[in-house]
Amino acid sequence: MLFPEIVITGCGNPLFADDGFGPAVVEELQKLQLPDNVKVIDAGLGGPHFIFTLIDPEKTKKLIIIDIADFGAEPGDLTLLRVEDLPAGSYRDAHSWDLTEPLQRLKDRVDITVIGCQPKHVTAPDFELGLTEEVSNAVPKTVRTVLELIGVDYGMAIENLRKEECQRAFGES
Amino acid sequence: MSKVVEISPTTRHEGHSKLVLKVNDEGIIERGDWLSITPVRGVEKLAIGKTMDQVPKIASRVCGICPIAHTLAGIEAMEGSIRCEIPEDAKLLRVILQAANRLHSIALHNILILPDFYIPGTETKINPFTPEEPVRSVAKRIQRIREIGQTIGEIAGGEAVHPSNPRVGGMYKACSERAVYKMYDLAKEGLTLAHQQMEFMLAVLNNMKKRDWTDVAGKQIPLPKTLGYHDLGYMASHPMYASSNLDEIPGWDPDRWTDVRPWDWYMGEVEVSLADPSYPIGGTSPVGTKANPQMEACTGVPLYDGAPVEVGPRARLATYKNFTEKGTWAQHVARQLEYTDCCYTMINALDAYNPSGKVLADCIPQGDGSMGWAANEAPRGCDVHLAKVKDGRVLWYEMLVPTTWNFPTCSRALTGAPWQVAELIVRGYDPCVSCATHMIVVDEDKRIVAQKLIQ
Repeated sequence: MLFPEIVITGCGNPLFADDGFGPAVVEELQKLQLPDNVKVIDAGLGGPHFIFTLIDPEKTKKLIIIDIADFGAEPGDLTLLRVEDLPAGSYRDAHSWDLTEPLQRLKDRVDITVIGCQPKHVTAPDFELGLTEEVSNAVPKTVRTVLELIGVDYGMAIENLRKEECQRAFGES
Repeated sequence: MSKVVEISPTTRHEGHSKLVLKVNDEGIIERGDWLSITPVRGVEKLAIGKTMDQVPKIASRVCGICPIAHTLAGIEAMEGSIRCEIPEDAKLLRVILQAANRLHSIALHNILILPDFYIPGTETKINPFTPEEPVRSVAKRIQRIREIGQTIGEIAGGEAVHPSNPRVGGMYKACSERAVYKMYDLAKEGLTLAHQQMEFMLAVLNNMKKRDWTDVAGKQIPLPKTLGYHDLGYMASHPMYASSNLDEIPGWDPDRWTDVRPWDWYMGEVEVSLADPSYPIGGTSPVGTKANPQMEACTGVPLYDGAPVEVGPRARLATYKNFTEKGTWAQHVARQLEYTDCCYTMINALDAYNPSGKVLADCIPQGDGSMGWAANEAPRGCDVHLAKVKDGRVLWYEMLVPTTWNFPTCSRALTGAPWQVAELIVRGYDPCVSCATHMIVVDEDKRIVAQKLIQ
């Protein structure tokens, strides 16, 4: 089975600074021991054609997509979106695939949530490795949000993530 | 007198490109320029100073479609530079990964091109998403082939999209005996489906070859028998996998490669003087639009023996299997013929693979700055990466991706076709105009999403 009951995908390109947010969250999630019915995938730029068009609603019941989203908030702020919030046809990815189209097909049979993070700095077309501090600081919160969405209580690990977040905040001050 | 028509962007392929076409009074292309309008990659500069392990992973991010080819070509360019031979079982896993990726890619391309073709014996164009038979069964078969390709790729490569298992010196992990059985079963199922799908596509293509016209935006457009012909050469490094400078008889030669800038190749500023608002997906550019391919093209023009060359399935079959058909239909035919090759390659490699074998070289040299290269036969054609590594760090890096080779060749292949079918010719190359962007663009007023902030 290619995709199990719960699929978590991090989308974006780490070559373009904050656009690497999705893969960065995936990197953290992959350090955790998650239930067998969960699969975490670094989708890079391939989400629409490698993953979203291959999801089988008979098997996959929940899809969580993590990416940056420009919604006019402060860098690092998070938002939860449903497929209905993605204006149809407004987005056509770099590969001429309409992202919303495969998701529209799935949305009535698969519970789809998009976790969007407001980027500070996306360098495309110029390459720059590494997230900005604000967006990097949003990674632990996103991990916690994902765990809440899939109903996994990770106990100490979440506590540790919170500590990491606090340490970062402390470091700033 | 020539008129100019512009199709921008071109559609149903990967990436952002456009066509600027000088046509005669009958609408036949006298000179066509197909160019990338995707921003210039800077990965070559970014690679300098990074470790030889980092750079292939960075390179794999230049494109969302071909991360597997870029990962393998990048790693093997490093191994070519440091002169590192990898164990046979590691090589077999890479071959399996490569063939699985190509299997998936051909099936994906089928979906993109099917709307250009007719159900044989009818005047109905194929909609791959229709619930009606016989197309529904075809779509299901394509989906299963894609699943099989991606699942095998995930097992051999570690991850489905960005393979984590290949590394400089071999592979991180061997595949267990159980994993081998699973891949074997999937490859056998894939072989049956690949045969069926190949036969279906060949029937569709043969039907198309017999047609004198095709429908574009409700108009009957003549189809020349020489659609997509050119008199340029081919370039392929290997029938299925790759070649590198470590091979006894290398399949590619860096001394035969030169590069010219777009302003030496593409036409200069022109003004659009012919437009068709009924052309699919928003019409062509309006009359008066200025185009300047020399300045707008975002790729260099690589030459082999001083001329552009075609890369891809037809180039592979022409080079290694005496395939002699020409033009766009032949490109499609050649791609379908590779379906079963992918499955046989996987089955043969799995037969030869030893799950208890070594998958990492005993010694991984750190490099003395020598040049190494790897020419990976990606689904769309020869993907050449070149590298110089010294003390484990990359001194110099270059990527010559398949569609970069095909841009100038396809431009010449446009001549003689009615402008309305120019995109058919482009899609024959299964272009992958490497690019990147983030995923979500929301409403201009941002009203809806602002209500759902996580505080």
